[in-house]
Amino acid sequence: MVNAAGTGLIRVKEIYRNREQRVKELKAEGKTIIGYLCIYPVLEMLTALDLVPYRMFGDMDETITSADDYLPTMVCPFLRSVLDLGIKGKYGFLDGVVMAHICDVGARTSHIWDVAVKTPYSHFIDVPHTDRKISRERLKELLQDFQETLEIFTGKKLTPAGLKESIELHNRQRAMVRELYDLKKPDPPLISGTETLQVMIAINSIPVEEGNNLLKEVISEVKERGDDVPKKSARLLVWGPVIDDIALIEMIESLDATVVMDDTCVGSRDFFADVPLTDDPLDGLAYRYLEELKCPRTFRESNTDGVHRGYKADLEARFGYLGDYAKEWNVNGAILQVPRYCDSHGYEVPQLKDYFEQISLPNIYLEHDYSKAALAPLKTRVQGLTEIIG
Amino acid sequence: MVPIYFAGIDIGSTMTKVVIIDDDENIVSQVISHTGAEHRRLANKVTEEALKQSGLSFDEISYVIATGYGRINVPFADRQVTELTCHARGVAKFLPSVRLAIDIGGQDSKALKIKDGKLIDFVMSDKCAAGTGRFLEVLAPTLGLRVEELGETSLRATKKIKISSTCTVFGQQEVVSLLSDGEPLEDIVAGLHDAIASRVASMARRLKVEPDVVLTGGVAKNSGVAKALRESLKCEIFIPDEPLLSGALGAALLGKETVLEALEKGEPVKRGEHRLEEATFFDQVE
Repeated sequence: MVNAAGTGLIRVKEIYRNREQRVKELKAEGKTIIGYLCIYPVLEMLTALDLVPYRMFGDMDETITSADDYLPTMVCPFLRSVLDLGIKGKYGFLDGVVMAHICDVGARTSHIWDVAVKTPYSHFIDVPHTDRKISRERLKELLQDFQETLEIFTGKKLTPAGLKESIELHNRQRAMVRELYDLKKPDPPLISGTETLQVMIAINSIPVEEGNNLLKEVISEVKERGDDVPKKSARLLVWGPVIDDIALIEMIESLDATVVMDDTCVGSRDFFADVPLTDDPLDGLAYRYLEELKCPRTFRESNTDGVHRGYKADLEARFGYLGDYAKEWNVNGAILQVPRYCDSHGYEVPQLKDYFEQISLPNIYLEHDYSKAALAPLKTRVQGLTEIIG
Repeated sequence: MVPIYFAGIDIGSTMTKVVIIDDDENIVSQVISHTGAEHRRLANKVTEEALKQSGLSFDEISYVIATGYGRINVPFADRQVTELTCHARGVAKFLPSVRLAIDIGGQDSKALKIKDGKLIDFVMSDKCAAGTGRFLEVLAPTLGLRVEELGETSLRATKKIKISSTCTVFGQQEVVSLLSDGEPLEDIVAGLHDAIASRVASMARRLKVEPDVVLTGGVAKNSGVAKALRESLKCEIFIPDEPLLSGALGAALLGKETVLEALEKGEPVKRGEHRLEEATFFDQVE
């Protein structure tokens, strides 16, 4: 339901249904569109050079066929789907792509893209996998390298002032997303998990400034809402990698449950940490992307000085922020959702379950096939969780 | 006081089970019947059979809970509850000290972590037939045996043959090749039971196995699988006399709890349609 006073959520749904329409329009106007995978490509640098970032997703409705020529079938179905769409020409409007070492398959997808798809510009950021000081220094060097390739491609110089301005623009978006998520704290929340995901997918599909305007409209609309979202018994936190389609969240919310918080990489994960404004903006960027982004692709532990502090301290260092979310959003259950073969998230599951047990949060692990048809059997598991919560 | 009755119907992928209990939780009637494509539509017939056995009319049943894969399309149920919660409740009635219940059904297998008679966590496997009754149903004819004969046959094994494949289709190929190698039938069957038990045990271990452990589902009737599971989990495993009924029994018990809770609170009991009619299919409901 949409408040009569605004059209923000209507626009969100339009963008969700036809994600690429806006960037295709911008391309026709002469803009350069750069596709990117996951949350590690530094968008601030693209925006600063007047490039339009466009988040690349797969398609749960499209059977993967062409990608099988390049990637084994027992790897991440999301990345296989993205590559499949690329090979089939569905990303033909992109002028370039930026990918990062999110996981081994992500790295290979980047290299295979250059062989099987080819775009005028492509760059791979080999982001380190630990949050130690030496890794941060290395990431700064890698960002300098990224900057150089962008400057060659655009023929423009990226100035520190321009980059700072772009960082502020992206930080503004992050603050607004956090404001939107605050509206999920009441019971019932003012915006459902399904709608939230549509908003997040929409702002991942349009230039940041347009996204900020859209968020402003959506927030004021949602604040005015009454009882649009029904009250449910289970207030859930959904954890895991990319969710690029509302099907899973819709299935969860068709039961006695609402998704009030998430730690997923199209949801809150990319928006809950700002880039600090440092003298050299690359320092702030390297810090934020390595230390503040809480994705399992970066190895985190309590042992940062060679001293082992035990399993409990490790769990706290790795997952403590999820305990904070659970408290702040009054969460009473968690779903650990992982598409089959997502190793980097799969590895976290036993420890994350231990952590949730430690904070007495009922939870289930949902492994799925990145296919809408395969979601139905998972409904029993989600209903089982709602029955545990009571 | 006039006795009141509660019914649970568990529509599984292979079998449909109905249990009727009185308010003292005594089972007054129980029926197990094949589900099948058309039986699913006719779940009411199984319930009618249970009513006939107990000499009760449907109006005398206070509350009906449907569970299992077919729970959605049962018009005479007041409520639908997952088989996870119902199994846990039914198993706890059989053995109140249960901490882990393993259910190996026709289509899936599941492990339920239970505390104080309540479900607190679970794992399910339903993507592959290898850890389920279907695995044995597919392989029994290859061995020239009926499913019911597998348990006893495996107990006569003198050695265990390692079945390396965890896939039903490849498992069948492996069995054919073992037969042509002249391996004794009972040793092959024991190997199959080991394969199923190790797969289910590794799933159950994710919940950190704590005794007491109860095994239910159709496969619990196979003494060979039960033995292999005991060896794999290294603990005693308890099996109810009728291991197929725990879901339906749990559903009936939850029905009683629902009614009592409402009465205690002085609230009206939330009811479903409560009409003893043919079930409809999913697409007709949604």
